[in-house]
Amino acid sequence: MTDFVHDTLPCGIEYAVCPLPRRKVVCFQLRVLAGMVTEPADKLGLMNILSESIDKGTENYTGQQLADALDVIGASSGIGAGRETITFSCTVLPEHLERIVELQAELLRRPTFPENMLTVNLDLAKQELSTLEDDASGLSEKMMGPIAFGPLLGRHPLGEVATLDAITRQDLVEHWKKYFHAGNMLLSVAGDIDPQRVSDVFEKHFSEFGSPVKQGREAVPVKFTPQVLHRDKKLEQEQISICWPGVDARHEDFPAQQVMLGILSGGMSSRLFTEVREKQGLVYWVSAWQETPRGSGMIFLGASTTPERCDKTFHTLLHEVNRLADDITQEELDRTLTGILASQETRGDSTRSHSHEIASDLFFHGRPISPTEKADKFSRVTIDDIQRYLATHPRDKMCVVTLGPKALQQSTNTSHAEAQ
Amino acid sequence: MSDPYILETLDNGLRIVIEQMPDVRSAAAGFLIDTGARDEVAPQAGVSHFLEHMMFKGTSKRHWRDITTDFDKLGSSYNAYTSEDRTIYYGWVRKADLDAQIEILADMMTSTLPEEEFQMERNVVLEEIAMSKDQIEHVAFDFLQEKVFEGHPLAWPILGYDETVEALTRDQMWAYFQQRYAPDNMLLVVAGNVDPNAVIKSIKGHCGQWRPSGTTSTRVPPQMKNGTNVLQMDRFKQQIVAITIPAAPAGGVQAEIASAVATILGGENSRFFWNIVQTGLSPRAAAFHYEFADTGMMLLYGSCQPENCEKLHDAMREEARRINDDGVEEHEVQRVRNRRRTSLALEAEVPYHRLTQLMDDMQYLGQPRTVDKMLSEVDQITVDSVQDYMTKFPLSAAGHLVSVGPRDWPSNASND
Repeated sequence: MTDFVHDTLPCGIEYAVCPLPRRKVVCFQLRVLAGMVTEPADKLGLMNILSESIDKGTENYTGQQLADALDVIGASSGIGAGRETITFSCTVLPEHLERIVELQAELLRRPTFPENMLTVNLDLAKQELSTLEDDASGLSEKMMGPIAFGPLLGRHPLGEVATLDAITRQDLVEHWKKYFHAGNMLLSVAGDIDPQRVSDVFEKHFSEFGSPVKQGREAVPVKFTPQVLHRDKKLEQEQISICWPGVDARHEDFPAQQVMLGILSGGMSSRLFTEVREKQGLVYWVSAWQETPRGSGMIFLGASTTPERCDKTFHTLLHEVNRLADDITQEELDRTLTGILASQETRGDSTRSHSHEIASDLFFHGRPISPTEKADKFSRVTIDDIQRYLATHPRDKMCVVTLGPKALQQSTNTSHAEAQ
Repeated sequence: MSDPYILETLDNGLRIVIEQMPDVRSAAAGFLIDTGARDEVAPQAGVSHFLEHMMFKGTSKRHWRDITTDFDKLGSSYNAYTSEDRTIYYGWVRKADLDAQIEILADMMTSTLPEEEFQMERNVVLEEIAMSKDQIEHVAFDFLQEKVFEGHPLAWPILGYDETVEALTRDQMWAYFQQRYAPDNMLLVVAGNVDPNAVIKSIKGHCGQWRPSGTTSTRVPPQMKNGTNVLQMDRFKQQIVAITIPAAPAGGVQAEIASAVATILGGENSRFFWNIVQTGLSPRAAAFHYEFADTGMMLLYGSCQPENCEKLHDAMREEARRINDDGVEEHEVQRVRNRRRTSLALEAEVPYHRLTQLMDDMQYLGQPRTVDKMLSEVDQITVDSVQDYMTKFPLSAAGHLVSVGPRDWPSNASND
């Protein structure tokens, strides 16, 4: 049984702590509820630049001094800008909790965004954009984003050269002022730590950090635009991506969706691995996964294969999705459920996993959810549930992206009926 | 406190290491086979990796489908991988499922390498090779090894070449398998919340009847080549610049020092980061200590816009020279120790991570180390010991430079 403390600090930070006796590290994640969706349309790439710049100088530290201070306590930390949030993750030995929170508060509350560092980070981002051409799967994702998610959620972290050129230091400062305040932050903590100690130290360092009023909890709508997109590129393999709408993490059908994905792509005995790779030798990599912004969910299939096998791979992928509704066996369902539940238990030995899990729960559900409650939801999924899910969430419109030397041979409309 | 692990060797030579982790709920088990790409003959380059794929394809007891299904019935996090000098198969499960996990892994080690699956899996491996050719970093690293270790088995890629994989027969693979996958060439590691006596009993039951092959190592230490090579490839936008310099082999304090030097030079918050990346010269510049039992190399590695090759190369060389000539600062060494302390504490709580650490120790040191022992060795790294290391493995050595990307740079290099 996991006991959580879930509350809101007087400063406005909503937090959850999972005490884990005898753990040797403390892990926490601070999420500021502002991601790429908050970028002005003519400043795409802003959040990535902000995440790269926020720790490069504060009122009391240069970027290097701050990095050195983190190293003095052996902290492992990272900053990542996503669609809807920017995440600050830290792992330290428990005796250094107070100092790491002080340093995180320094960079979150007192960044100076030095002009010279901004110039460098903009230049590096443009170089990354250029070298994205060397990353086939990354390029494929970039092509899929806008048609699967729409103009807001489908943005690419790096933006475009023109929008990067438009970003100024003042933009960073204004964006930071607008979104970085305690009421717009979620905190998750796991480790051998007293929850009172956690609340005391975060309140001490984040009190009066902007408005305590909760903000940033609204979902951003997806704009799904089914179509077939191909880009010719000199590659050894063709990248194939398929996407269609699913349900979001709070939807009652979400457990059924996750189990369906497990049946498709959960382990090496799953359908895609078995039918596409093991039986036909069409690919080395094949996978199915979901991406769930708040309020929406998208299902993806992906594979890469040499051009002569592209059409066969594509149709096998569709065939496997289509037959799901007809022939799931109880044994297959049980095996998939065991995989999900066992993975939850083994991952539970990792303090960092706990911290990430709680952060995700706070973001999607507004509360931490115990492993028991999660397990219970999955355990109750039946074949009927999955069939009902498949019937009520049809795959009648899809986005299909291919990148490589060869477009799909047959005229592929975005209805998958032709593959049935 | 007594050591938390049990060491045992079965009569057939199978070595066993078990570490008890009473505070966790899971357990990991894995076989390390002391064989990899460097144990192959040139016409069969890639056989170790292809064999690793085939090990999932069937035994006298299980059809390939049963192998993966049985793994998944346990909810195991399982996989396998091949390197230059080892092949590893592992599974991470709930503690109650450990015996079943060991049984499946042990059964896999008795593969029949089914003929009917051989061609199909060859296609999968060829697809993996094709995928690697679309990844510039993979291309660059294979090219670097090919040139640095020219004439030595470490020169060929782990995946093999299209031609060698296409030409390989099942009989050739079978002969390699029989010779290399024998208990006297294997190690079985278990870490987690386990009862060691029950685990040993289980292992004896599953592996005790295996016959040793009497295989002996034929590995010859490589001579690293100095030189400069360019692989011009118009299809890529960026240029990879990589310099290799001889370094300490795996295992022991010298390897820890080499790893610390790599961190100070090109890890997070390193000299490369502040003096190269944060000047806008390169989005990625890093240093790694790359190690084998009998040799090691310091890899200085960066990517850049093609027009910046010279600057990136010169900047990496300059940082290496500064450390070589001027040494490192006490605060830099202290930072490495502090970071390592946290990462070891984090890894020590997960059975799968302890499994891989124990495998490293057994392969390169011949004995396991506790986390405390690892920490005490990290604490032995000092400014003076780094300076002493530099006299043995100078970072000012010419080493080998490779350049991969659209630009023919340096123009005086050997082109491929």
